[in-house]
Amino acid sequence: MSTDALFPEWDRRGFLSKAGGGLGGVALAALLGSEVRGASGLMDAKAGQIRPRARAVIQIFCPGGLSHVDTWDYKPELTRRQGKPFDSDGKVQFFASKPGNCQGSYWPFRQHGQCGRWISDLFPGLARHVDEIAFLNSMQSKSALHGPAMFMANSGFTLPGFPSMGAWVTYGLGCETKNLPAFVVLPDPRGLPPGGVINWGAGFLPAVHQGTVLETDAARPPISDLFPPEAFSQMTKEHEQDSWEFLQNMNREYRAGRSANSELDARIAAYEMAARLQLSAPEATDLSLETDLTKRLYALEDADRGPFGRQCLLARRLVERGVRFIQIYCGAENTGAKKIRPNWDSHEDLVRDHGYWGNVLDSGAAALLADLKSRGLLEETLVICTTEFGRQPASQGGKGRDHNASAFTAWMAGGGVRGGIAYGQTDELGYAAVEHPTYYYDLHATALHLLGLDHEALHFYHNGIQRRLTDVHGKLIRQIVS
Amino acid sequence: MSALLALLKGSPRFFSFLAVTVLAGAGAGAERSVAAPVDFERDVRPIFEKHCIECHGSKKQKGDLRLDAKGFAFRGGKDGVILIAHSPERSSILEKIESADEDIKMPPKGDRLSSIQVATLRRWIEEGAVWNETEADRAAIVDKRAAHWSVTPVAKTFPHEASIDHYVGNELRRNGLDYAPEADRRTLIRRLSFDLLGLPPTLERTRAFERDSGPDAYERLVDELLASPHYGERWARHWLDIAHYADTHGFERDQLRPNAWRYRDYVIRSLNADKRYDLFLKEQIAGDVLFPENAEAVVATGFLAAGPWDYVGQIETKSDVLRRAARAADLDDMVTQVLTSTMGLTINCARCHDHKLDPISQEEYYKLWSVFSGLKRGDRDADPVNARKIGAQRAALELELRSKRKDLLALGSGFLDLADVVGGGDGTGDGKTGFGIHLRTGKRVSEKLGVQSDFPLNQLQKVIGKEGQDSDSEFVKAVFVPDGTSPVLLGAGKAISGLPKTNGQTWDAIRKGPLNAQRTTTVNLVDYSKEGHSILGMHANGGIVFDLAALRKRHGLRGMRLTAVVGFGAGKEAADTKGDFSVFVDDTPRFQALRMLKKDHFVLNLTIEESANTLTLIATDGGDGIGSDLLFLGDARLVGETEQSPELKTRLEAVRSEVSKIESRLKGLPEVAKVYAVTTEDLPAVVRVQKRGNPEDLLGEVAPGALRWPGHGATDFGDNSMPEGRRRAALADWIVDPANPLTRRVIVNRLWQHHFGRGIVGTPSDFGLGGEEPSHPELLAWLADQLLQQEWSLKKVHRLILMSRAYRQDSRGSGGAGDAESDSQNRLLWRQNPRRLDAESLRDAVLQVSGRLNPEAFGPGYRDFKYFEAYAPVYEYVTPDKSELWRRSIYRFVVRTTPHRFMGTLDCPDPANLTPVRNQTTTALQALSLSNNEFMLQQAKGLAERIEHEGCRGESAVERAFEICFQRTPSETEKRAAAGLQSRQGLFAVCRMLLNTNEFLYVD
Repeated sequence: MSTDALFPEWDRRGFLSKAGGGLGGVALAALLGSEVRGASGLMDAKAGQIRPRARAVIQIFCPGGLSHVDTWDYKPELTRRQGKPFDSDGKVQFFASKPGNCQGSYWPFRQHGQCGRWISDLFPGLARHVDEIAFLNSMQSKSALHGPAMFMANSGFTLPGFPSMGAWVTYGLGCETKNLPAFVVLPDPRGLPPGGVINWGAGFLPAVHQGTVLETDAARPPISDLFPPEAFSQMTKEHEQDSWEFLQNMNREYRAGRSANSELDARIAAYEMAARLQLSAPEATDLSLETDLTKRLYALEDADRGPFGRQCLLARRLVERGVRFIQIYCGAENTGAKKIRPNWDSHEDLVRDHGYWGNVLDSGAAALLADLKSRGLLEETLVICTTEFGRQPASQGGKGRDHNASAFTAWMAGGGVRGGIAYGQTDELGYAAVEHPTYYYDLHATALHLLGLDHEALHFYHNGIQRRLTDVHGKLIRQIVS
Repeated sequence: MSALLALLKGSPRFFSFLAVTVLAGAGAGAERSVAAPVDFERDVRPIFEKHCIECHGSKKQKGDLRLDAKGFAFRGGKDGVILIAHSPERSSILEKIESADEDIKMPPKGDRLSSIQVATLRRWIEEGAVWNETEADRAAIVDKRAAHWSVTPVAKTFPHEASIDHYVGNELRRNGLDYAPEADRRTLIRRLSFDLLGLPPTLERTRAFERDSGPDAYERLVDELLASPHYGERWARHWLDIAHYADTHGFERDQLRPNAWRYRDYVIRSLNADKRYDLFLKEQIAGDVLFPENAEAVVATGFLAAGPWDYVGQIETKSDVLRRAARAADLDDMVTQVLTSTMGLTINCARCHDHKLDPISQEEYYKLWSVFSGLKRGDRDADPVNARKIGAQRAALELELRSKRKDLLALGSGFLDLADVVGGGDGTGDGKTGFGIHLRTGKRVSEKLGVQSDFPLNQLQKVIGKEGQDSDSEFVKAVFVPDGTSPVLLGAGKAISGLPKTNGQTWDAIRKGPLNAQRTTTVNLVDYSKEGHSILGMHANGGIVFDLAALRKRHGLRGMRLTAVVGFGAGKEAADTKGDFSVFVDDTPRFQALRMLKKDHFVLNLTIEESANTLTLIATDGGDGIGSDLLFLGDARLVGETEQSPELKTRLEAVRSEVSKIESRLKGLPEVAKVYAVTTEDLPAVVRVQKRGNPEDLLGEVAPGALRWPGHGATDFGDNSMPEGRRRAALADWIVDPANPLTRRVIVNRLWQHHFGRGIVGTPSDFGLGGEEPSHPELLAWLADQLLQQEWSLKKVHRLILMSRAYRQDSRGSGGAGDAESDSQNRLLWRQNPRRLDAESLRDAVLQVSGRLNPEAFGPGYRDFKYFEAYAPVYEYVTPDKSELWRRSIYRFVVRTTPHRFMGTLDCPDPANLTPVRNQTTTALQALSLSNNEFMLQQAKGLAERIEHEGCRGESAVERAFEICFQRTPSETEKRAAAGLQSRQGLFAVCRMLLNTNEFLYVD
């Protein structure tokens, strides 16, 4: 077995100081996802030949179903028909109810910006950015159920088990930084969205591509298991370095006799990267050095808007540090058993729930756009704001709105997006998309394109099929590319 | 395919480059032909090849038309014949090419035919469309797919020298390679132990094996391990991966499947017993049909229900379109699981269109649907015989109990249970627990409901008598939702008024039993959900009016008291939520608790006059809207009150004692065991082909059957009058038919895969044209034959593999650099493959070495999470820090939507997917989990304590740690380094790091 000769560096200098030095590119590449064993063998699709316009994505997801007719999609005819029957022949069946009467927007609309886009008063902050934003007004979903529609929005499939967009993007592009994960998720501190962590899963892609949840509660370590738990907190830094050095020497020794197994290198490198993560993750999430101006911009001190503001500010910091894909959730799980709905699913009182969440979203997202812009980051960062489906133009129970898979609005900004325009239209009441009806496939294809990826070339073999984010669909929406 | 080519294929520039070149070529040909007669090979075929056969050739057959062979071209396609010699006018091919309509014009995109090319075609047809059949034409009409390696019959005879090493050795020699030397004993026992049991060997067994000089030492070890009860625990994991088994539904409302585990146990037991593999499959597909009295076979059908299921789409939504979509996903999941796991067919690819690669038609796919269309996932009796026995006993006792209770009532005593009345009973116990009354419709409902808000307020809604009946309820007059703004009119000039203001919404139903999302059923230490008690669930806002007159009339009661406990069934987080509770007798308020909190409860004890007609119970929201207003009544009873003479007293005593005897016998009845499997209907709905897989766009009907490609057995099972059970029995027989070329190949490949880290076919659930070619096709066939020779015994095939020289090789190879160069993937097996432990084996190995593995086998899974009932249930993982959570990982209660983070980080797959091969990744998060996760740290501490407890100190403690973890003593250098770390940081640090080493994680 082993001999002394196999322990060339058996001294006690910490390996942390040499991090990234001794191992060379192979092992590091392995960590970034190219050394992946499994059903598919090595991946065969990498960056495409398209000129990348964005290097990072921040996706804000508003779970529960954000009402387009009260926010981004101006429907004066609906207001004119206020109180008139919506479905005169009685054939329409919504998710949870029969349609009530027409209900105009609960907030008045005004024109904003150079482009003159109509935006409701629910979003005064975002209204100031309309010239940066491309609205997709003709979005549709294949399901009016939260779970399947969430999956459709995130993975292109209504069933669980498929990789999310963030997983596909990191599979295609890897990460810019070796100090932080490539795909980071910032859930609402109130809890997870419908469908849970599957929303940012890697599906059948290697687990390295799944989203890493960053704790959004300031009091806890940003990544779970980043440090030993409370009960083991007596372990000193010196203890850790001493231990890990022993480990790495053991691993190098084991490696020496097994030249054919390059995974062993990757394992050694993984511990080095873990050590870097211990330094970089707390630094990335430490907001104390942000200026007061910035903290005020994101309303960090506000009890309602502050948590989401913090998520947005964290996203900006992660983009600055080379994280590829960041997903922020503005809203949590779906239940009717709270006084205010914990997300946008406003069945019984839209003014109460959208009023609350609208204020939260507007404050944080507008701050994020302004902040990215002022730092010159918006050009290279694609910001996407999505929901799983829209809400009905007809009233539900007098004060709410039911699910609407036939129409909703998503928007994109920055990262090569042509601002100040709207793509597609719904009918005069906002019931269904009529011009350029668009599923998530096209949004996904366009986002990948802006990142320099051809959605048809980015595939992975799984159980008999070369799977893609866009399934067999998807087309680039050229109109919104600048 | 190389990365470059993959990208080029997707690049438009590449296509246009090709097209330009091609045009030039074809154009030149066409020009040359202007004067001379058109020659098909020279002038026409190039046009077809470049413009048509991409969609009308061997890869795609749009419109069922092919132009790549004479036989196809003249046969035409879906729209009929397209070529008629001498008649360009009647040849529709020209019509298509020249059409002005962009939707019809061919080719639909890319470069259209030039006018010269069109003229060439026209002239060719005019001149008689002469097409001399060539060898290529004849070859093209033979479908090579019928001769695909995986569907050729497994040969009946093999050379007498056939063996694993015969085939592997030949292939090595042919490529100038040779076996690596046999691995050392320690490596072998470690490899065998993890492969067969998923656990490391003990030091003692390793030493014994190293010392055993008998020539059959290895063979005896193999047999010993194959006979171990841990074998089934290990191999069940592989099977459950391809069945995507979990213990919850998945999707948005990821509810528990508390009875799914019986199927998991079935798999473990069957594997341990070395059940014939054909029987193993038959039981899982149709055990309830083939062996209806056999509990084990019934439990086996849990296989069909193992995958995810969408509660909201199947049950909750009111939209039929959504429900059909959810059902389609459900059947697709079932069919896909059965066919991929047993036969390695990617059948799901034929859902929207014919399979793109394999000759499987869309119609055949839907024929398989109709085999399963009579099934729904759900709980069923795990042991039908025993269930009938217990059921009969219970029914008899309940009947007796009711009659005694009626006797009591007739004597003016006893009680009527109001929850029982809500459940559709008469108050003596014939109501159904779990039933509720829907506040809007007055119907009896069994499913749990969410928020409801749009219905008339303060108005009585009549209540339907029983589920599915139209008649009015006899004892419940009405239900209503109050908002406090106007009185609720009871009729006869009476009204309930003075109720607190509410927001007019409600949650769930008025229910016999706990409400949807109710967290607690206990008040003052009495759990009212237990036998002998009752719960009447009443969430705000809702009221129920009982008809006292009717109850009196039925039971002959006169004087009554209402007794009950009013509790608040919310969870801790709802400590501030308020609710009100009111009781009215006729229009008189008799009890009201306003702004009741979770910590509060009240005892009701009200006299009800003989003249009273109605009793009304009302829950309202406490003024803060409906939140967790989970009010309930425990043992809500109308108790008979009569003056009792001494003689009556004696009679009552006697009946009461009989009642309590029956009650205790009821309590003593064993629970009827359930399994999450399938429920059936005898005559399933007729299945129709769905155009593009869209459930709203239906084509022709199909009857139950299978697919023709494998070429064995009858593939039409019967017509649509065929009973449900016979359909599955027919499919099961078809799958395990010894003539089926796939089933046996697929399973022996899976066994091989888990012994070598890779199958002979690297895509173990895809034996079609999109899958991988076998590295050793004859060996695969031979193993498939051996399975039949050995009467479908999996253990005997294991033994063949484990005894082979190929298996026993050293994983480091023989040191020849050429091996790694000529076959770097080691497909020819010039060495064994080193493998990293999967998540389950790693966790189990950690527990084993720390000495804390709890060997308890079978039964409900351990739950290392806190469960919170809610609309979408919440699962919060906890550190497994006690023995009941230290069982083997196969017994983990697997939650679908909230995957286990620690296990997931180690590549434990998402049970939404069928997982024939697990991905294996190496990440920094894994490093963090293994070094910092509390479970790992606690177990490292456990290992250190174990060593100290054994009396080892200093260097000997370090040595012992190596021995336990690696079954070897440390080298001098290792010992020095470890002892150094121990002296500075303690033995714990050494143990913690040993559990992080590659040597611990990898099996050579």
